[in-house]
Amino acid sequence: MKVKGRNILLTIMTLCLSLLFLFTIQPTHHTAYAADDSLQKIKDRGTIIMATSPDYPPYEFQVSKNGKSRIVGMDVDIMKQVAKDLGVKLEIKSMSYDSVLVAVETGKADVAMSGINPTAKRRQSVDFSEIYYNGGQSFLINKTDIGKYKNKAALAHKKIGAQTGTLQYNLAKSKIPGATVKGMDKNTDLVLALKTHKIDALGIETPSAEAYVKNDHDLAMIKSGYKLNKNETGSAMAFRKGSGTLAAAVNKSIDKIKAKHLTTQYLADAGKYMKVNTNNTSMIHYWNYFAKGIEYTLLISAISVIFGVLLGTILALMRFSKSKLLKAISVAYVEFVRGTPLMVQVMFVYFGVGIIVNLPALLSGIIAVSLNSGAYVEEIIRGGINSVDKGQTEASASLGLAKSDTMRFVVLPQALKNIWPALGNEFVSLVKESSIVSIIGVTDLIYQLNIVRADTYRGVMPVFIAMCIYFVMTFILTRVLNYFEGRMKHAR
Amino acid sequence: MQDKPLVEVKKLQKNYGDTQVLKEIDGTVMPGQVICVIGPSGSGKSTFLRCLNMLEKPTAGQVLFEGKDTSKFSDEELTVLRERMGMVFQSFNLFPNLTVLDNLKLAPIRVKKMSDKDAEEEARSLLKRVGLEEKANVYPSSLSGGQAQRVAIARALAMDPEMLLFDEPTSALDPEMVGEVLAVMKELAEDGMTMVVVTHEMGFAREVANEVWFMADGYILEKNEPNELFNHPQNPRAQDFISKIIGN
Ligand SMILES: Nc1ncnc2c1ncn2[C@@H]1O[C@H](COP(=O)(O)OP(=O)(O)OP(=O)(O)O)[C@@H](O)[C@H]1O
Ligand SMILES: [Mg+2]
Repeated sequence: MKVKGRNILLTIMTLCLSLLFLFTIQPTHHTAYAADDSLQKIKDRGTIIMATSPDYPPYEFQVSKNGKSRIVGMDVDIMKQVAKDLGVKLEIKSMSYDSVLVAVETGKADVAMSGINPTAKRRQSVDFSEIYYNGGQSFLINKTDIGKYKNKAALAHKKIGAQTGTLQYNLAKSKIPGATVKGMDKNTDLVLALKTHKIDALGIETPSAEAYVKNDHDLAMIKSGYKLNKNETGSAMAFRKGSGTLAAAVNKSIDKIKAKHLTTQYLADAGKYMKVNTNNTSMIHYWNYFAKGIEYTLLISAISVIFGVLLGTILALMRFSKSKLLKAISVAYVEFVRGTPLMVQVMFVYFGVGIIVNLPALLSGIIAVSLNSGAYVEEIIRGGINSVDKGQTEASASLGLAKSDTMRFVVLPQALKNIWPALGNEFVSLVKESSIVSIIGVTDLIYQLNIVRADTYRGVMPVFIAMCIYFVMTFILTRVLNYFEGRMKHAR
Repeated sequence: MQDKPLVEVKKLQKNYGDTQVLKEIDGTVMPGQVICVIGPSGSGKSTFLRCLNMLEKPTAGQVLFEGKDTSKFSDEELTVLRERMGMVFQSFNLFPNLTVLDNLKLAPIRVKKMSDKDAEEEARSLLKRVGLEEKANVYPSSLSGGQAQRVAIARALAMDPEMLLFDEPTSALDPEMVGEVLAVMKELAEDGMTMVVVTHEMGFAREVANEVWFMADGYILEKNEPNELFNHPQNPRAQDFISKIIGN
């Protein structure tokens, strides 16, 4: 059963190197061969795809009306105008803020629009449109601190929060002397941190700050007082590098919007939605969000556990095969998957593999979770196979049965029975771990939870509800599995 | 009795790593013969038996089946060898995931490509032969030791072998169940089945065996017909061993 350690290492290294090769070769491929067909492609398709992170009111956020949820906000309205000018339909893909730029780089979306500031650093990896809105920078503080933090100077040596990967984060780091900057993924979390005094102020764009202050009477805002190059602070749309024709067309629309001062109207409309929202922040009002989240979470876990078992079985059989190569591949796969975080694997499948074949987020999530689960199930099944008495294999061989028949009719059925409880545990833990797919915009429970938080401006209650739902799901699942385990024992 | 040997063992040697378990084994099994193998624990009896049907590969020497060297067998020839040479184990090794009937049917269907109907008919008649037709549809875990071993014998018979290997078939059984299993084995012997039986049941050996082989330290130290070997052992190790089992 032993494969030399060096062999495994070699296989893993070859794997990594070939992946690296694949990805380094990609960009040259594009600059060398692809003419700028960015605009033509959209027109041919008849749809422009926008990637956004809808937890940033009033730029983009999700609202529900008559049980249906949709993404609204200034960015969406602008993009609708752009789509109209181009004569195409608009399709919105929602995902975490960290993912929106990657989505355009990898061709998952044509344009990323999520209140993005076109910093010099970002310009190295994507193209930007003109600035379509400049909201300015502010700080959110607790109303009780209004006397304490009158301006930027007062924030020196304090704890400042900001969304990771944003301009606000970098500004707080570089322009406030002695400040400790705390980064989080979501503004909803940051607001909660502020209200619980884990941070003293929150760097945020002025329109967002205004939205929060309007909706939460414990909060107040102050002007940032940063002296900034206007080009770096406004919001712009991002495109994949080399999208000159698309950028030119979009810029025309932006010019029109600016000339007509349409953004004022868009912001006012967004404000109206926010008003509607705040009237009804009870969790029951959002039950359909949670229901949809449960549905997706269970769907992903169930499908993944089935494919995980199939893959795990194949990997385990490879591990027991005579072929050194098959054995080494199986060992390398398991080591590799176990040695990397699920989150990275999810992003790799969605964005990385997405360069070659365009997979929808849900499918990517299921594939990544299945591939991950397969590695863990392999170990369970291998344990199960080893747990079958050697006498069984011998008796089977003494009857003249082929090795494959012995596996299929004698060893595997017994192994599966032995590992049933372990497989059940794997299913239960998938229900919890699959939550990571929310980062690529799969509408599972965690994703819905974040929408509800952004929507209601309530930080804790939705989290508590989700926690209860997860517990109830895993609790019921465990009972159901125990019941079947008991019945299986009974049958023998 | 035909004069061509069914199995010939020549200078058979088996090592596990550095330990020599079988040092030099020679022997011949004629068709229809019943050979009982006795000897102290760890002397290599099981290993010897397992070399006969190639569950273990000999380190040196040869096992000839109908004159052909089994160590040179292809996978197909090995399958045929095992079809013709069944094995019954001390711990039964029935498949707990299959019913008694399916235990008997599995190999005929998968190896002999027998139809389900034929296999079932054959299986039921074998169960009848070992007196267990009413147990066809139960799982092995509900059988007593004696019943399980009779099913195991029936399972080996389902392949219609010419020869059976028994590795201490009664030593895991409660004393009151030993008789029923030995009775089945005796009947098989009377029907002309060639058998190599590792056993310490002296009564059975006296009654059924043509020859008893005494094994110790990786050698067969003495071969004789049962009464002669049990009553007048020549080798001092054999004398010592036999006095002990008679003493029990
Ligand atoms: N797979 C193995 N690897 C290493 N050593 C083994 C293996 N199988 C058997 N042996 C050793 O070979 C020797 C002979 O074993 P074997 O089972 O053939 O003896 P035996 O005569 O059948 O004994 P018993 O009466 O206890 O069944 C023992 O010392 C045993 O430890
Ligand atoms: Mg033994």
